Amino acid sequence: MTTETRHVTRFELLMDAGFGAQKAGDILVGAFAKMGKFVYIEPMIPAEISPPPRTKPALSGVVIRLADFDITNIGNDTDLILAAHEVVLDRRLDDEETNFNCQVILDMGDKTVNEESYEKICKRVTKLGYSLYPFNIDPEVEAIVKKIGGKGKNLYYLGMLSCIYNMPNDFLLEEIKKTFGKKLKEEVMDQNITLFMHGYNYAKQNIPLSYDVPSKADRTDKEKILIDGNTSLGMGIIDAGVKLFSGYPITPASSIMHTLAKEFPSYGGMVHQAEDEIAAIGTALGSYYGGVPAVTCTSGPGLSLKQEFLGYAAVAEIPLIIVDVQRSGPSTGMPTKTEQSDLPAAIFGCHGDNAKVVISVANVIDCFYAPQMARYIAEKLRLPVFIMSDFQTANSYKVIDKPQVNEITNIDDIPDFVFERFHINKLSEPIEMVRASQVNPGTPGGMRRITGLNTDKSGSVNYFAGTNHRSHEIRNEKIHHIRRALRVPEMFGPPQAEILVVGWGSTRGAIEEAMQNCEKEGLSAAGMHFRIVYPLPLMLKDIFSKYKKVFTVELAYGDELKPAPLAMLLRNETLVDVRPMISRATGRPIRPRNIKDKIKEFLGK
Amino acid sequence: MSTTNTQTNSLPTPLTVKELHTENPRWCTGCGDFGIVMGVKRFMVDKQINPSMTVNVSGIGCSGRAPNYINTYGVHGIHGRPITLALGLALARPDLNVFVHSGDGDALSIGGNHFIHGVNKNFKCVFMLYDNELYALTKSQTSPTTRKGHPTNTQPKGTYLEPLNAVRLALGIGASFVASTADWIPDHLTSTLEAAYAHKGFAFVHISQRCPHFDPNNFDHKTTNWFAFLKHPQGIAPDKRIADKTELVEHDPHNLENAFKLACDSKRYFGLFYRDENKLSYDEILRSQVKAAEPKPRSKILDHYKLE
Repeated sequence: MTTETRHVTRFELLMDAGFGAQKAGDILVGAFAKMGKFVYIEPMIPAEISPPPRTKPALSGVVIRLADFDITNIGNDTDLILAAHEVVLDRRLDDEETNFNCQVILDMGDKTVNEESYEKICKRVTKLGYSLYPFNIDPEVEAIVKKIGGKGKNLYYLGMLSCIYNMPNDFLLEEIKKTFGKKLKEEVMDQNITLFMHGYNYAKQNIPLSYDVPSKADRTDKEKILIDGNTSLGMGIIDAGVKLFSGYPITPASSIMHTLAKEFPSYGGMVHQAEDEIAAIGTALGSYYGGVPAVTCTSGPGLSLKQEFLGYAAVAEIPLIIVDVQRSGPSTGMPTKTEQSDLPAAIFGCHGDNAKVVISVANVIDCFYAPQMARYIAEKLRLPVFIMSDFQTANSYKVIDKPQVNEITNIDDIPDFVFERFHINKLSEPIEMVRASQVNPGTPGGMRRITGLNTDKSGSVNYFAGTNHRSHEIRNEKIHHIRRALRVPEMFGPPQAEILVVGWGSTRGAIEEAMQNCEKEGLSAAGMHFRIVYPLPLMLKDIFSKYKKVFTVELAYGDELKPAPLAMLLRNETLVDVRPMISRATGRPIRPRNIKDKIKEFLGK
Repeated sequence: MSTTNTQTNSLPTPLTVKELHTENPRWCTGCGDFGIVMGVKRFMVDKQINPSMTVNVSGIGCSGRAPNYINTYGVHGIHGRPITLALGLALARPDLNVFVHSGDGDALSIGGNHFIHGVNKNFKCVFMLYDNELYALTKSQTSPTTRKGHPTNTQPKGTYLEPLNAVRLALGIGASFVASTADWIPDHLTSTLEAAYAHKGFAFVHISQRCPHFDPNNFDHKTTNWFAFLKHPQGIAPDKRIADKTELVEHDPHNLENAFKLACDSKRYFGLFYRDENKLSYDEILRSQVKAAEPKPRSKILDHYKLE
């Protein structure tokens, strides 16, 4: 069997929830990265803890993209699937994310449970034109799985994948030992290793597939870390000098709280789990009014609940950092699927005229620095500042050069490169406040009251027409400060082109890759990406007017009669006929190829 | 943003009631809130509490305006949520005195969840429930404590339900300090606030508050036969001015069972129902977590994720 060299490939391991597919993926990805390969991993997580096995909702797995160049997203289609049984395979095929010559490796162990179903799905695979490699785990090996509680098959599959992707087994064994070393009894560990080796050897002898992705990542000069978006955000909160985290459990934001619950006290920070979403933001505001930086994290339903306090923060002039890890909405929607549809709720959510700033994150490095950027703006303007992440960014992880740690105590410590990363200049002084005094409690003789009622400059409650309008002007002028400080957003592709494709947050990777491919194919298109998505820079109309067409790509619903949220915002800000190019609410990440195909279509090629 | 917490509670010059004045309150003539705010001021003067180190926190309603009329730091928040704001201050700034002003609608209806959890968390604050037994600022609607049969704009034929008993509720959810007083007995009100301030935890003070505009009959402040004072060496002294005209009932504030009995009685009692000095405070617990944690240098926060 010859080994085929691939520059980029994508594969999946599909299992039932609770059987360790993600753990196997973690080990494999760590090993790939240490071997000098570029890797991006996206876990597929059900919204329930342990749905009944062998049902479609039980699908749990990992999508791994492997390349010999730096990758920014999960890519297009899957080249190989290893599935624990036919039901999870069937479920995943429904997503239509498989390559035309996909290789499907299917564990036939459950065939006796439902022969008919197996036959039907095997037929589906062949009909799609994919190659099918059915296999059975040896009864002796099955006996080991049973002995350790039925949960070792992930190691067997890990062995198979390690062999297929040409990884040295001793290297993987080291990784397994590092991962489980302290947690497992020696005996169980040995059995896990046996399972891994059985899988490895089985694939070597029976599966005629072997791929090699060249190791090209520079492993020598900089320290590398493997981290997911939510962990990076949690660590970024610590680095930004925040001292109180106040949250309520909600998927997919909770893991930020989990990370901080373990780590924060060692850095002088407190984690408060509130009784509800409203209490969580209220307590963060209480802390920040006291002069102690605080953050609250949530997702869609929690964002709806927090709205009244967001308006209050703007009127009372209390700084606040709020993280929204978006999931598919409205209502409970799809808690473990990605979407960018909270944008209008973040920008315009609460009643009355709104004043807030919305920062988004495109990747795990942004997650680390966004809390610093948010803290700077929140404290300068004394307004709520959003950090918008999403399920995809929160849960996907990749290997990156270890970001510089800034150890911020106050906002003057934030280095210039953070401002550059978010395409904004430092704000010009003075910034006027509604109330002349903004001193913290404890300042001798500075006693002042804040309220959600309108006040005059002295802070006294006042319902006069002129005074109320003044407050609005001052709050909006704070936002104008940002407008004027914003630089040209990040651009991809040639300086001149016919089509401009615009996105924000997690779609950056797909846009960047699509533009690289368009350039290769001579398609006249450029890309633009916003990190700060509200307000928008003032030169936008000038930039847009250089292109024949401006399109958005968004993970949110839109159609011909209703522009998706970003398109709506851009139309409003520029009066340019911006339309969504991709605005589907599937819960799945945008694929670079879809962007390129659409561009081709619009260019008539 | 740096915190200023070098001050202590000691004052350079003696505090007077006049210094605590901000502006004339916008409450109706005869409103019980005047008495409560005066009680707070008197207690602050008696105890010489530093206004720079004090934050009065409130929600929405007539009671919500109180912080605007006391010259300390203040947070007039949103409806039902003052406890959440107060907790943020208590966690972040243990050097500050935190006094919460909330109404029967604010604390027991829209903010009921926070009330339960504030009491249970037992964080350090003085919590004053201004109970006028209806929504007043929105013009006379039924509140959780409106007495059955009393007509309001939302239940014009008379309030349907028996009122919620706030003292019994507080005892039931494990309050570590439960006292009751009234806006028209200033000495008792002041002594109650002093006892509440001395308590290390969530000090719940129920205050019967008159609302002459919407319900002139809710409390008859001219007679004394419909209530009694609780009396005990470890309790709060009965109001000197009317003690001789009022029934005095012996009650040990450590006797929870008897506290429940009194709370359920048809007679109203003013005094200290219950005090538990040993209940742990959530704010103390969180701070002790920080103290107990092994300090780590921030420069190494990403090292745990290194590929080795």
